[in-house]
Amino acid sequence: MSTSPLAMRLGPISAAGPGTLYQQIVEALKREVAAGRLAPGTALPSFRVLAQELLVSLITVKRAYEELERAGIIYRRQGLGTFVAERGHDRTRAVQRARALEALTAAVRAGREAGMSNRELQQALRQALSQLTGHDEHTREAV
Amino acid sequence: MSQSDTAIHIRGLRKALGASFALGPLSLEIPRGTIWALVGPNGAGKTTLLNLLMGVVSPDGGEASLLGHDVHTEDVDIKRQVAFVSPDLNYSAWGTVGRTIDFVSAFYPDWDEERCERLQLQFGLQRSERIDALSFGARVKLSALLALARNPEVLLLDEPTIGLDPLARQLLFTELLGFMQDETRAIVISSHQLNELERLADHVAILSAGQLVASGAVPELLQRYVQLDVVLKQDRLIRRPGLKLLAWDGERARLLLDRATVEPQSLKSLDVEVIEERALTLEELFVGLIRNGNGYWRQRGMVGA
Repeated sequence: MSTSPLAMRLGPISAAGPGTLYQQIVEALKREVAAGRLAPGTALPSFRVLAQELLVSLITVKRAYEELERAGIIYRRQGLGTFVAERGHDRTRAVQRARALEALTAAVRAGREAGMSNRELQQALRQALSQLTGHDEHTREAV
Repeated sequence: MSQSDTAIHIRGLRKALGASFALGPLSLEIPRGTIWALVGPNGAGKTTLLNLLMGVVSPDGGEASLLGHDVHTEDVDIKRQVAFVSPDLNYSAWGTVGRTIDFVSAFYPDWDEERCERLQLQFGLQRSERIDALSFGARVKLSALLALARNPEVLLLDEPTIGLDPLARQLLFTELLGFMQDETRAIVISSHQLNELERLADHVAILSAGQLVASGAVPELLQRYVQLDVVLKQDRLIRRPGLKLLAWDGERARLLLDRATVEPQSLKSLDVEVIEERALTLEELFVGLIRNGNGYWRQRGMVGA
């Protein structure tokens, strides 16, 4: 496990990135937890320290921590600090799955509205899958 | 909120400057642990407000206290616990940067020599530099260094970003967030450009023509105001508090709506069809709030019913 400070692991939190700064922090922390790069029980810096490291306002980090806490991904212990939750990994996975299914449903609905048949939609999904698989193999080859 | 949680308390504060400008009456409560951006166009009253808080000028009425000390009668306590950063502070009497630092540091028992030396290095200030020869940006840096090394409880900064290059601004903001690691402290930082402070401040107070047009935590303000594109079914819009006309052409109009005053649904009764409802960025809200909506209204021949 690497020991980079959390600010480095979260990546650049930038106005040029997608979403608001606080959403970027939430997403980046979920990504690190889901990928197992932040193990359960890992101590996180206080929101004041992280704000200074990321150079964002105190309220931005505070909101991100609050949202992650509500989602059960991190937890706070009065006087001890903030930690990655035991089941944070599963929870981020579950959230990611739910979001993927939601996006798929929306895509099917958009296809229907565009007059696509079931067969066309299935074909499109197969095509998307094979493109992604091809891309994965390509990446592996490059490495 | 108990008195001890309050860093700055302002109630009914007002000050007239000449015949044409009056600040207030203003009321504002700034808790410890927060960074406030005091924003407004040039001439809105930002410097006057900070000068009132520092006891540099006396108010015509109302009250203001810092850390429980009345700004007018207990200014000695305030000058000990509160630091002021301004490009206008004049240190030329001390000749050089080094002599200014030596002089100021002697006054403050909590002076942090280590931080002072680190900031000198980061800001690129040489002890031998003559005060008279300092650039505008370097004067701001010296002023910030003298304030931060004092370890004050409240830090007031008047337009500190004007003369700073982006790198120096980042250094300053990092120091300010470092200063806030102690949650009993508070910062008020003024600027006529909100976008410069958006990343640093968690609370905003927007001044326009001497009045406080909005104040509060940034996410709450962004929840409270909304931008509406509407079709006017009649040729006129009813003017009412909480609604501001941002743009108007033909039957379409863009409105800034304050949800705390007007419910978007209530527009239906005004014979207005809402096409689009959109959230604003802080910058858009700032511009929307400070623009002179009524003048625009008159200019376009649009008079409220």
